[in-house]
Order: sequence, then structure tokens, then C-alpha cells
Amino acid sequence: MDTLINLFLGPLQETFFQKSLIGGSMVAIVSGVVGCLVVLRRMSFLGDALSHALIAGVAGGYLFMKLLFGIEAHAPSMLIGSLLAAVLTVVLIGFVSRVSRIKEDTAIGIMYTGVFAAGVVVVSIFRNYIHIDLMHFIMGDVLGVADADLWASAITSAAVLSIIILFFRYFQITSFDPVMAVSIGLPVVFIDYVLTTCVSLVVVSAVSMVGVILVVGLLITPAATAYLLSDRLDRMMMLSALFGVTSVVGGLYLCIWLDSAGGGAIMLFCTLQFLVVLLVAPRYGMLARWLQRRRMVPQQDMEDILAALYRQGQLSESDLDRHVEIQSKRRRSLKNLALQGLLALNDGTIALTEKGRTEAKRIIRSHRLWETYLEHVGIPEVEIHERAEHLEHMHDTSTIEYLDDLLGHPEQDPHGTEIPEDVICNHGDRPVPLSYYHRGRSGVVAKVLTAAKDLSLKDGEQITMCERIDGGSTWVVEKKDGSRIRLDHRQADAVLVKCI
Amino acid sequence: MTTNAQATRPAIQVENLTVSYGPKPALLDVTLSIEKGLLIGVIGPNGAGKSTFIKAILGFVKRDMGTVAIQGVSAEKAKGLVAYVPQRGAVDWDFPVRVKEVAMMGRYGHIPWYTDPSPDDWRIVDEALEMVRMSEFKDRQIGQLSGGQQQRVFMARALAQGSDILLLDEPFAGVDAATERAILDVLENAKASGRTLVVVHHDLTTAGEYFDRLILIKQRLYAYGPPRAVLQEDLLSQVYEGRLRVFSNLIKKER
Repeated sequence: MDTLINLFLGPLQETFFQKSLIGGSMVAIVSGVVGCLVVLRRMSFLGDALSHALIAGVAGGYLFMKLLFGIEAHAPSMLIGSLLAAVLTVVLIGFVSRVSRIKEDTAIGIMYTGVFAAGVVVVSIFRNYIHIDLMHFIMGDVLGVADADLWASAITSAAVLSIIILFFRYFQITSFDPVMAVSIGLPVVFIDYVLTTCVSLVVVSAVSMVGVILVVGLLITPAATAYLLSDRLDRMMMLSALFGVTSVVGGLYLCIWLDSAGGGAIMLFCTLQFLVVLLVAPRYGMLARWLQRRRMVPQQDMEDILAALYRQGQLSESDLDRHVEIQSKRRRSLKNLALQGLLALNDGTIALTEKGRTEAKRIIRSHRLWETYLEHVGIPEVEIHERAEHLEHMHDTSTIEYLDDLLGHPEQDPHGTEIPEDVICNHGDRPVPLSYYHRGRSGVVAKVLTAAKDLSLKDGEQITMCERIDGGSTWVVEKKDGSRIRLDHRQADAVLVKCI
Repeated sequence: MTTNAQATRPAIQVENLTVSYGPKPALLDVTLSIEKGLLIGVIGPNGAGKSTFIKAILGFVKRDMGTVAIQGVSAEKAKGLVAYVPQRGAVDWDFPVRVKEVAMMGRYGHIPWYTDPSPDDWRIVDEALEMVRMSEFKDRQIGQLSGGQQQRVFMARALAQGSDILLLDEPFAGVDAATERAILDVLENAKASGRTLVVVHHDLTTAGEYFDRLILIKQRLYAYGPPRAVLQEDLLSQVYEGRLRVFSNLIKKER
């Protein structure tokens, strides 16, 4: 027990640990908040670029004070130097991608490596003047946080955080819909520059803690973790700040216990935290996605079950397997169909409901129309059924209407079985062409178009469809007075009828 | 709110508008005046300058010549008088923002930077969501909505903006027939409440049925008027050139 308490409380009594904890948390909070905007605007690469460009600014600031005033490692001027370098990099990136065909990501890559290289060259040329430990710069030194660093990060964090909170709405809308933002008169370009400056400030203050290489991780990983858990920007920012702090706390303990590099331990903890959330996040996590996919039943299986029930009347569950090929999830398919009210399960026997019959009819109709179509385009008879099994699942209204019309609204498929009629009354009040009607259906003429003007059909007249003649190409209708009229396909299409 | 002078002014007045991106003008010498309270469709083939026309009304593009006045105010100064509904592809649907927050964005132009949205703002947002019948979804993240619902949320945002003029960029693109009907209902409600709606529209077969007036453009303004006057075979054949065959049926239907 004592060892456990020592393990946690021991480090807390050390001043260096307290300073790292405070400094690290401040930086983590603000980079978490700003990081959300970076992630949502897909600026991650820019964050990386800025952190590298800093070295030139730090070297510049150092040299400036050293050569002019003889002051060693003057922190404020190095900070200002870094900011200048960051702004310069952003301006150069914008310039290159504007004046040439080079895209922005490439421009970022070119400019930041260029500025970084300039910094490295300067530092190595003036190695006798500049006492910057490059390793320190690249790896960071979270355990060696100086008081000046603490103050610098406190001030920048407070400033950046205030800006983000005060102007939250403007950052939100310019990230989400910049066009709308312009249309209500917001200075979108200016807001973008403010955000870039904030990112630079955060990067500058974080580099001394975790180093150039890891700073972008501290910026985007907590934000990405929060993104998986939240559907609101303000909440995402709060969560992101929280994850930043837990990374710093967890990482610092790791670093003490394992005696490892501080920045590395923080980012390692941060990444593990992300992976855990990626796995278990309630909606956007992998586990949730996997469960969701498992719950889904292929639409095709369900349609096959409906079609089998339509053909067979009712079936027991064990008989179902003989009529439908379903690999797995049979139980789930049935349940799903029952939930949709398409079939009724009665201890072991399955039967279609009225709604299920209508749906099954649509599928059978689709199947048989596809078979007729396949025969029409000359597919060998042995292949027809197999192919139609696959094609029948394309049964949206316009596809079916197209096939039906192309084939002359057949009443029978190639095997001589009846094609179920279009579920005409589903069209509601909309009149349909007379050609849709099958034998025995009655309706009222709603409109007679030009092609059928010569026939003696009037609006409002009641008609009944009789059998098709001439191999299906001539429609015959009977009027109320018993007289019969013959129509060809064109004429039958030109008479619009409503069902009664 | 509106003075007499404003009441008689046209909603949008465009005079001799010419816009170019290169040596060829995107819009050439367009002059028209859109009256208030109408539902107006902008039609024309791809690349005809329809979106440039919308951008010009929003004051987004540099004009080579001409003027655009929104209720008598020059387009650049009229920020906020016109509400814009973007194409559905224009935003990131994974953005962490909920329906009611998107609608609230319509109020951002009215809320001073130092305060939170007032109860009045929330009331306006609720009303706007009610008008597009999206109230029950107001706590949903926007990516979890269907295409038509997303479109309606953006219309709610435009309504919450309180502008008298709404510009919509292809609201009917990629939605099914029932959704199209629902969107059209919202447009008609908005019109009934006195707003002017300018809608970029792709489908000539429905253009005549949906709109009070049509604007037919391809670089130049070919026609502006009631659908019957605009959907003329000779006009359409000039604008759509070789692709007219598709429309000959439509023209017959109109007669």
C-alpha cells in the first residue's frame, strides 16, 4: 500500500515534477482546444510545418540579441523570432500556392523544410555563438521546464484560450461553412490569420515541452480522440483539453517510473489513449461499427425469404432452408421482417402479412419481368432463372416501369407463369396508363391523350380490361355498355385511368 | 420594418452586369429586375454562369461592369440581406455540430460578439426549424440526417437569418421525389411569408411546374418571365443546342 502511495505521491513532492505538470497541462489544454479547429479544418500538416519552421526563428532571435546586445538565450526575443518564422512560413506557403500550379500540401512541404533547413544551417554556422542544444529542440525537455518557460506558456495559453472562447462562434462558422460566413459579412481571411497565429503561438509554447517532432501530436491527437466522442464543437474542445491533460499527467508518471524521455512518454500515452477510444467509442468506435454491421441483415436475403413465402404460401422454419439459400443470420432476417410487419411468426410457421404480400408481389413481379427481359435480349433459357435471381433486387419503380414498357407490359413470363400486376392502387390518385392494367381490373378514364383521341373513350367513363390478344400486343377493354375497344401499345399508353 | 420606399423597390435589381474570369465573360450584359415575393428558378446548361450569377448577387465576385442592388443597396454593402443555402456537397457532414446549432448560425450576423444568443434568437431558430418541420431532429448531428433533411436544415438556417431574399444552389440535386415535394413545400411556405426565393435548378421537366418565373441564362440573359414564356422551343434550342431532343416532349406537355 505504501509503495503504491509512494508511486503516485512521491513524484508530486518534487518541484521539477510540479513545474512540468503545471506547464505541460497549460500547454495541453490550449493545444487541445486549438487542435480541434486544426483537425476539423484539415490543417494538421500545417501544424507540423510550423513546428519545424520555428527553429529558424529561435536561432534568429538568439543571434539578434546576442550580436546586438550580448544577451544570452533571451527567451522573449526567441519567442518573437519563432512567431515571425511561423508567420513567414504561412505567408510563403500562401504565396507559392497562389502564384503557381503547385497545390497547398506540396507548398507546405517545400516551405517548411526550407525554413527548417535554414535554421539548422544558421545554428551550425554560429555554433560558437549560439548555445542551443538541437537535441533539446527536437526532443523537448518537459522535465527541465524553467520558470521563464512557465510564464511564457501561461501568458500565451491564456491569450489564445481567451481569443478562442470569445470568438468561438466565428471560428465555428468559418470552419464549417466559410461561404455562409462571407455572406453575412464576416472577415473570413482575417479570422483565418488569427487562427494561424494562435496555432503558431501554441506550437511555440509546446515545442519547449515535447519537442518539434511530437508537438503536432499534442495538437491533433487529443482533438482527434475527442472527435470520436462528441457531436458538438464546444464539447469536443472541452474533451480534447481534458485528454491533453490526462496525456501529460499519465505521460509524466510513465516517464518517472520508466525513467524515459518526457516528451516521448507523453505522446505515447496520448496515442494509446486515442487507440482505446477508437476501439470503444460509443458511436464512432470500431467496436460500435462492428456491432452495427453485425446487426445488419442483407436486404437480398430478406427479399428472397419474402419471395419464397409468396410462392409457397406458408412454411415452417425448417422448410425455409429448402427454398431459400441463406448463409447465416436466418433467424435475424426473420425477426427483422417481422419487425417491419411483413411476416407473422407463429410457433415455427411463417406466413406473410398483407403488407408482406404486397412487398413480395413487387419482388416476384420484378423477378419475372427480369426473366422476360433476359429472354427478350436472347439469354439462353438455362441461365435465365439464375441471372434473374440476382437482377430481381433491382426493383425501384423507374427500373420496373422501364422494363414493363419495353416488353409491352407482358402478363406472363417466359415460363408461362403470371407476372403480378403493378400495385396500381399504390399510385394513389395519380392516373396510370391503361397499358398497366391486367385482365379483370376496372378503372375510370381520367384523361385521353392525342394518340388515343380517335377511340370512342371519354373522360369519366368506366372500363374493364379483358384478355390481351395478338400475342399480347393488343389490349381489349370493355365499356359499361358491353361494347369492346381494341388498342395498340401506343394507344393504351395514351389513355390515363384511375383505379376505383 | 420596411419603409414605403423599400416596399416598392424590386428585391434584386441587376443592370448591365458583366463578370469575367478570363478573356471570355462568364456573364455578359445581364439586366433584370426581380420583384418581391416570387419563387424564381435559374435555369441554363452546365457552365452557363448560373453560379456566377448567384455569387454576383451575394457580392462575392468582382464585376467588370454593371450594378447589383439588393433592395436598393449595392451588393457589397448588402451583406446579411441575402441568405444563402449552399449545395449539399459544400460542407463537411462529419463536422461536430447539431441541427439546432446550424440553424443558430443564421443568427450569428445579428448577435454581437460579446454576448451569447438571446432567448429571442432561440425562439427564431425554433420557429425556423418548425417551418421546415425539422424540430424533432434538432439534437441530431447533421451527418445522421437524410439528404432532404440536411437540405431543410440549411433552409431553416437561411430563414433564421431573417433575410427577405433567399438564394438556393440546386436544392433538388440528388433527392428522391418525396423529398423534392417536401423541399418545395418549404419554399412555398417561405414565399407565402413574403420572401423572395431565387433557386438554381437543373431539371427542366419540373421547372415549369415549380416556379413563378424562370431566368434562362447562358452567359447572356436569354429570357426572364413566366415559365410559359421562357420554355419556348426556339429559346431552349438556342441555349441547349444539340441537347434539345430531350426537351421536345416537355414543350409539348406544356402546351
